[in-house]
Amino acid sequence: MTSSAWAISGMSALIALIAVKLSHLQALVLFALVISVAFGFLGRRQPKERVKYILWTLLLFLLVGVGIGWAMYPFSR
Amino acid sequence: MPEETALPATPPEEASPVVHPRDSRREALALVVGLAGWLVPGLGHALLKMWGRALICFFTVGVLVWVGAGMRGNLFTSRGNDAFDSLGYIADLGTGGFYWVARSLETNGPDVSHADGDYGTRFLATAGVFNLLAALHAYEAARGRKA
Repeated sequence: MTSSAWAISGMSALIALIAVKLSHLQALVLFALVISVAFGFLGRRQPKERVKYILWTLLLFLLVGVGIGWAMYPFSR
Repeated sequence: MPEETALPATPPEEASPVVHPRDSRREALALVVGLAGWLVPGLGHALLKMWGRALICFFTVGVLVWVGAGMRGNLFTSRGNDAFDSLGYIADLGTGGFYWVARSLETNGPDVSHADGDYGTRFLATAGVFNLLAALHAYEAARGRKA
């Protein structure tokens, strides 16, 4: 196998690896989780405060996201 | 998690309108820290020995860029057609070096004809805005104003 063929197959494998298929809810949960953890670490110093902040932010993200989803439901059809 | 430390805050007795050489040095250092944090997510905090925050910034921006590119989100370029494209470009450019990583990953180009691509666009923009926020946080911490 030539080096260019190796490069092409490597790139194909990488593209297949990053092809992400998420449902709407999965995308919402992933987004909320990642951002909540990041905000918790940036915004608070103490571990206990961080955990409380992360959980509270995560809950609010999910509640607001699902709430807005339901609020838009009557206009979706 | 190791103890995270920032540079010591400026003592009150030194807070005068006269610019001390130490203050300008601290300001220059803070700018370097902020710039490093923008270019490589988490590097600004790593330079301040805030290891936990550095790791979290790196992985947060990395995951958001990876998922955004994987969902074939729109990665804006400088050749935008309107103000929204330009704003999107600024947000995407906020990821620093990860902007070019995302470009190299998205070999098939964006696909916003499905909801996935639209979500991916938001993931990429959020990664950029979050990285700008983290770089600003590192800059402020280096100035001794926030930790």
